[in-house]
Amino acid sequence: MSGRATGQVSVEAQRDAALVTCRDVARAYGTGPMAVVAVSGVTCTVRPGARIALTGPSGSGKSTLLHLMAGLDTPTSGTLAWPALDGHPLGHPGRVGVIFQGPSLLPALDITENVALPLLLADTPENEAATRARSALDRLAIGDLATKLPEQLSGGQAQRVAVARVLASRPSLILADEPSGQLDHEAASMVMDVLLQASAELGAALVVSTHDPVIAERLPVRWTMCDGRMDTAPARAGLS
Amino acid sequence: MIAIWLSGLLRRRRARLAGASVGIAIAVALLASLGSFLAHSKATMTKRAVQGVAVDWQVQVQPGADPVAVTRLVAATSGVLAAQPVGFGQTSGLTATAGGSTQSTGPGVVVGIPSRYRATFPQVIRSLAGTPDGALVFQQTASNLHTAPGDTVMIGRAGLAPVRVVVAGVVDLPQVDSLFQKVGAPVGAQRTAPPDNVVLLPSSQWHQIFDPLGKARPDLVATQVHALRDHRLPADPAQAYTAVTAAAHNLEAKSAGTAVVGDNVGAALDAARGDAAYAQVLFLFLGLPGAILAGLLTATIASAGATRRQVEQALLRARGASARQLLRLAAAEAAVIGGAGAVLGLGTAAVVGRAAFGTARFGTTSATAAGWAAIAAGIGLAIAGAAVLVPARRDLRERTVNAGRETVGAQHYPWWARVGLDVGLLVIAYLVFHATSRNGYQLVLAPEGVPTISVSYWALAGPALLWIGAGLLAWRLADLLLGRGRPVLRRVLRPLTGTLAGPVAGGMSRQRRPLARAIVLLALALSFAASTATFNATYHQQAAADAQLSNGADVTVTVAAGSTVHPAAAGQLAGVNGVRAVEPLQHRFAYIGTDLQDLYGVRPDHIRDATALQDAYFTGGSAAALMHTLATQPSSILVSAETVKDYQLRPGDLVKLRLIDSRTRQPRLVEFHYVGVVTEFPTAPKDSFFVANASYVAQQTGTDAVGAFLVDTGGKHTTSVVHRIQSLLGPAATVTDIATVRKNVGSSLTSVDLGGLTRVELTFALLLAAAAGGLVLALGLTERRRSFAIATALGAKARHLRAMIVSEAAVLAVFGLTAGSVIGWLLSHMLVKVLTGVFDPPPSVIAVPWAYLSSVAGIAIAAFGLASIAAVRAARRPAVSVLRDL
Repeated sequence: MSGRATGQVSVEAQRDAALVTCRDVARAYGTGPMAVVAVSGVTCTVRPGARIALTGPSGSGKSTLLHLMAGLDTPTSGTLAWPALDGHPLGHPGRVGVIFQGPSLLPALDITENVALPLLLADTPENEAATRARSALDRLAIGDLATKLPEQLSGGQAQRVAVARVLASRPSLILADEPSGQLDHEAASMVMDVLLQASAELGAALVVSTHDPVIAERLPVRWTMCDGRMDTAPARAGLS
Repeated sequence: MIAIWLSGLLRRRRARLAGASVGIAIAVALLASLGSFLAHSKATMTKRAVQGVAVDWQVQVQPGADPVAVTRLVAATSGVLAAQPVGFGQTSGLTATAGGSTQSTGPGVVVGIPSRYRATFPQVIRSLAGTPDGALVFQQTASNLHTAPGDTVMIGRAGLAPVRVVVAGVVDLPQVDSLFQKVGAPVGAQRTAPPDNVVLLPSSQWHQIFDPLGKARPDLVATQVHALRDHRLPADPAQAYTAVTAAAHNLEAKSAGTAVVGDNVGAALDAARGDAAYAQVLFLFLGLPGAILAGLLTATIASAGATRRQVEQALLRARGASARQLLRLAAAEAAVIGGAGAVLGLGTAAVVGRAAFGTARFGTTSATAAGWAAIAAGIGLAIAGAAVLVPARRDLRERTVNAGRETVGAQHYPWWARVGLDVGLLVIAYLVFHATSRNGYQLVLAPEGVPTISVSYWALAGPALLWIGAGLLAWRLADLLLGRGRPVLRRVLRPLTGTLAGPVAGGMSRQRRPLARAIVLLALALSFAASTATFNATYHQQAAADAQLSNGADVTVTVAAGSTVHPAAAGQLAGVNGVRAVEPLQHRFAYIGTDLQDLYGVRPDHIRDATALQDAYFTGGSAAALMHTLATQPSSILVSAETVKDYQLRPGDLVKLRLIDSRTRQPRLVEFHYVGVVTEFPTAPKDSFFVANASYVAQQTGTDAVGAFLVDTGGKHTTSVVHRIQSLLGPAATVTDIATVRKNVGSSLTSVDLGGLTRVELTFALLLAAAAGGLVLALGLTERRRSFAIATALGAKARHLRAMIVSEAAVLAVFGLTAGSVIGWLLSHMLVKVLTGVFDPPPSVIAVPWAYLSSVAGIAIAAFGLASIAAVRAARRPAVSVLRDL
């Protein structure tokens, strides 16, 4: 049921087109009586420039919904579309940036290579990818980590590198899954600062899943998940 | 807690546990198979050694003793099934008149045999012509006297009138050396050659002729009691030897000086125990590296999950688990891996035994097979402990909780690399090899008559150190090339990986330690396979050469004694279906001084059309060069090394031989010129002989009569060609083929079913190569599923994942195959040299089994391919589900 953008749209229309639309989307794991429903009947839209906090208790389906929006997972029912992306996000590496909840750096690559990887996967020339990676690291004030390995970083540093990796590919949509979940208050605040600043500079929409009210407070729109369902009416979503 | 942990392992780490168990299973199966095979081989050696003896004991009745009493004593000895008295009378000479001319010989021996003798000792006498009863003349004597069945021979007696006997038949005495041994004399005091002139008479006739001589000259007449023993002996040749020699000594003690035992069966077992020691050496040479390799494979597979285990261990420690609890968990994991591997390995051994030998017990007893199974299973459990428990214990002692969280790890250079152990081992290997070469590569010393055997296990150190040193050097080079050679690697990988060349090369460079381990493992597995296969191929090459030396060619037609056949008859044989080439070979007898030796007249330009002449058979030139000399200088002659030494010959020296001239039937002097040494020649005996130009011999002796025809069939259908030739020529000619001879010649080691050992060894070598290639790569890739899932989430497409996986497989394959080839080549040469004593004749060149080696390389590459395909398919799973599962 994953949708694909159809038809030619004008540049103007594309700029205003929704980044992601979910219509009655559901995701269940397993079948029959043992099936676990992670997301059920979610309808929402994310528009360019949106700043959304996706809140809810653990196990409410926040991460699953973000993965569905990123195209990393497939809904078991409903329709999912990325009208502004001209197709599935995995077909356009870098257009949707995902920051994972846990460690997501490749242990065998150094920090520069980790940050440059999405660019290289999108066939960006190596020199340009390296330059953009270093620039992203510098922007986050972690340029001195460029040659280190992931295992040599603290949790906060690793998460900032993950943010830098997203920024380097200049996405239209940033999906951050509990980006501050493993960080102390100060580090979490710093990561949020960076995310907000970067998304503003890039003009990218930002969806942050969190169960931290302080983090959620910093975003103008809040969607709440509970038992796989979204409480917010879709009409309110995605407004900048 | 242990149950929960094991349950989790079985549910979540099945691949790693299964992989490690497979490694253990290979080690267990290899050891159980080879151990049972060794036990079976030893039993076979004992059986064959005993079967090959014509007369078990030749008990010499001492002068003055009563032959009847000694016969009774021998017959009453425990383990003796039959005892018969045999008379030996010295004749002053034999004379025969045939075709109008009279031939005389020098002194000889007349043997008196009881009527049941040939039935009791069937291997002593082989009929060639005539009837089996009556006076029988030895083949060579018949040739000297020009006699045939029906002719009359005069037997000379010192001081008495000669006696006339009618020849009933011509016989061969296959074990003539043993029959005419000086019983009780030490090795150096034995005759250099058996008597040329032998007549065998029925016992009654012998007594009529030699009892009078015995009264006049008791020194010229003797009696032996020939005994047949019960052949139910201990399976081990060394134990059987001890039992038989002890019984012989016991008999001598009981005889109170009236009898001395010529212990032929003991002598055969004496040789077999040396061969058994060689079999043991072979077991060590061929089996131990395989088991070590399987152990390394297990350790590598286990270490593929070491990072994860360290992280898990660190987490458990952080949550309060004690060191004792962690060790218990590791011990439980080792027990599961070891137990499963042992069961799987013993099952595999049973299947291998059934496939290679038709029985799961490898032909040995149930108790022996069970014993080896227990030993193999124990070693399997020990390997599991070493691969899982020891690293866990080391981590507990040496690593901090934080260090346990590291996944790539610091790249410290290991201690052995810092001190240059690899180079040191290679130097020591060379020195040991050089020292071994000084004693002519004699690995086993089993002095005749001495109950203990000395095996030079020190010589094993050469190949073993070469293998280990080369493996470590391969690790050092792989580490160097993957580390400092990263820019080169990046350039090489670019066509495969495109823009990802940098990260892929960087990733490999940082993970070069596990990659280097995998490369070394593959190189060691391939070199093990290569050296084993080369040894086996060379062994079979030399066994074939030995059989060809004994038989002469694929098929050999021996002309009946007394008949004259000319070389032109070769044309008749050449027309037989399946025959590719026929070569006539003259066989004469020639006196040099007082020595009578065989002389072979060959057509130097054509001899090699029908039989193989290896350079190792000659000294003073290659086979081709010396045959060319024989062709261009017809009077030239090749002689044995012993003759060169005895007569102080130098190249070009004149050698005068006495050969029978067919025109005068008298010996005449023929002049030859010594040009080289021949040590082996088709159909020639092991001792001294000559090889000369057939045309020259024919011209000098007035006859071109041929002794045998060497027939080449291209090594195929020899049995059917034998039947065709036999039906063409009738029973007068003796037709033998290489396949039949191969079963009858050679040492007991040769007769051991090395075909079975080959199958077992080479199958395991293939398994190890496949496991070292595919399994290690697959497990390494499995451990990086998370990385592939993250890359997929970041936008990696199938082609990107394929490029990453294939790059790693290609690097492993290229480095591993190259290192394996080099180590295999070196090891093969050293192994064949060190095991020179196993080969008869020693090889001049090693045989390289290209087909097998190609299949090993092919299987390793196929294993890489399969592992890569499986990894690519696994990486296609949705990234989120992979990340969630891990």
